[in-house]
Amino acid sequence: MKRKLLKALAVVLAGTMALSVPVYAKDEKTKLTLWHIQTGTMASCLENSAQRFMEQNPEYEVEVIQMQNDSYKQKLSMAMSAGETPDIYIHWGGSSMIDYVEAGQCADLTEFMEKDNYKDQFVDAGIEQCTYNDKIYAVPVENISVAGIFYNKDVFEKYGLEEPKTLAELEALCDKLVEEGVAPFALANATKWTGSMYYQYFATRKGGLEPFKNAAAGTGSFEDEAFTYAGEKIQEWVDKGYFNEGYNGMDDDSGQARQLFYTGQAAMDLMGSWFPGTVIGENPDFIEKVGFFPFPELEGSDADQSLCVGTVGDNLYSISENCEDKEGAFKLIQSLLDEEAQKERKSFGKIVPLKNYEAEDELTQEILDTVNAATGIQLWYDQYLPSEVAEVHKSTSQEIFGNLKTPEEANKEMQKAMQDYLAK
Amino acid sequence: MQTTSLLARKREREVRKVSAVFLIPALLIIAVFIIYPIVDSFRTSLFDWNGITAGKKFIAMNNWKELISDDTFWKAFRNNIIVMVLSIVIQMPIGMAIATFLDRVGKKGTIFKVLWFLPMLMSSVAIGYLFKYALDTNTGLVSTISRMLGGKNIDLLGNPKTALLTITVVICWQFIPFYMVYFMAAYSSLPADVYEAAIIDGATRGQYFWRVALPMMKPSIKSAIILSMVGSLKYFDLIYVMTGGGPGDASELMATYMYSNAFESYRMGYASAIASGMFIVITVISLVTMKLINGKEEV
Repeated sequence: MKRKLLKALAVVLAGTMALSVPVYAKDEKTKLTLWHIQTGTMASCLENSAQRFMEQNPEYEVEVIQMQNDSYKQKLSMAMSAGETPDIYIHWGGSSMIDYVEAGQCADLTEFMEKDNYKDQFVDAGIEQCTYNDKIYAVPVENISVAGIFYNKDVFEKYGLEEPKTLAELEALCDKLVEEGVAPFALANATKWTGSMYYQYFATRKGGLEPFKNAAAGTGSFEDEAFTYAGEKIQEWVDKGYFNEGYNGMDDDSGQARQLFYTGQAAMDLMGSWFPGTVIGENPDFIEKVGFFPFPELEGSDADQSLCVGTVGDNLYSISENCEDKEGAFKLIQSLLDEEAQKERKSFGKIVPLKNYEAEDELTQEILDTVNAATGIQLWYDQYLPSEVAEVHKSTSQEIFGNLKTPEEANKEMQKAMQDYLAK
Repeated sequence: MQTTSLLARKREREVRKVSAVFLIPALLIIAVFIIYPIVDSFRTSLFDWNGITAGKKFIAMNNWKELISDDTFWKAFRNNIIVMVLSIVIQMPIGMAIATFLDRVGKKGTIFKVLWFLPMLMSSVAIGYLFKYALDTNTGLVSTISRMLGGKNIDLLGNPKTALLTITVVICWQFIPFYMVYFMAAYSSLPADVYEAAIIDGATRGQYFWRVALPMMKPSIKSAIILSMVGSLKYFDLIYVMTGGGPGDASELMATYMYSNAFESYRMGYASAIASGMFIVITVISLVTMKLINGKEEV
């Protein structure tokens, strides 16, 4: 008797549970987490996009988490190793994207991107950057950023200087500035990637994209003449005093180079095209004095001289392989680039990697023209290379700047690091 | 008679039981947050692992072999020794001098006490930024003063010869207040009658300091030295903020080298080998020093 009662009770209980589960699930919204590294007003642009997305798709609950740039990679890798990868996260492409894909942390988005030819809206170089093994793993969202030379128009005017077209012209201009007691370039190289830009441009002007691509793949070498040229040129410029004093001890993140640029103690700054945005944030009145020209051409070189160093997309948004609702997550990424968001991004001086982008001010247009004229983009070395080799590149380039190593020694070390990595 | 001793023994047993119970939380925390990570670092040092992927590759002692032949690590180790020696040589005497001064002037020195303690209250990162701006080659305090005196700009942090020494001076600036307070505490534990007796016997203040106070504070000085030593060997903060180990590896320390391997180069296995190597080196140096210091006392 008692047993029967128990059985009946069990059946009833199981029944209520079965009934209650779907009801419960319906009430619960699908939660999506998004990690980004935007700050200030740009962060609120992402918040707004997420808000709009939730209004249009009430079945989702989006948590937008703002991370700090400096420690972002570390935090992301910790989250990944703990199995708590955010549904949507940003990265910079290159070897870290490959790492994430190989680690099974990055979902294949090709199908979503090809639906309604969505991917055709993007600048080709941007899609190229998100592609690995013919599959698209990310969406380029934030910004086209290429390095170029920003200069203080007042200083140029004062000494009667004009934007140089060739490296020889640039060097003549620098010599004049040195004579006048103005540092030609503002450089804060404790940060390392700042000086690395010079190295990248010299190597690209000398040898084009091939030497680096081959060296990174193991079919070429970092002891190629393009890299030797880059190192030697840097040391030549150092000896001629083209950089402000104390550059290897100064930190770009805390604005020590821009300080010299603003005060006119230095005339130019080779920097990524996020530079105007930084200036607007720090010193809004100064932006009118900022001019731009692409890194000059090297005469007599066989390489394509239109190439740019930089990235198309900057922050690439990827979806975790563990995300439960990838389609929803992709929709959320799309909402980051809806019309409203495009307008907002534009107002902050960002160049979204979409083909329909039109610049409103002259400075942005000049940068955009440079990108459009470029037949190819050399992705930042430190983003392209696997992290351990990238670190070696950054520190050897700093040592070249400090005359602590000869270009040959530095490039040899670089080649060894690359080989060690590939041998694993 | 027998009953009391039985009672005493019973009591003792109970005290032991209770104390064991009270110790469990502390032991658990030490086991989870100190012992386990140390053991796990040694284990991880046997793998090739980037810190992200699930698959670790067992490579036995390869990381250790690399560590032993890694010039940068030994350079970092030498730098640590430099920081250690300079820290002890600079911080201890100045800390002691300030403590002696404050002890002598008593209440009148309160304002100095507060002022001198301030650096200790600031976070290392804030101090790092502060000095980074103060030492800026073109616009910083040091260069400006040098220019006022007719000199040139001075590049301290970007020069591989001076970067480490400069940061060591900042480290001293930060930690002298700590030893100041430490030695003030040592002073206050000296019995007042010893001082009075010495003065009555005709000792000068100098004699009192060298012959009476200093020997009596020996135990405090010893532990201060050990503290400073271990602190310098695992030092990280200001180097990371001010130069990041650069230029090149001029100011690299073991801890910053470990950090950049783990979180910039993503070589978690190798970084664990560095961490374990540091653990061994620091333990050995501390044990040897303690033996040496305590051995002298017995002679």
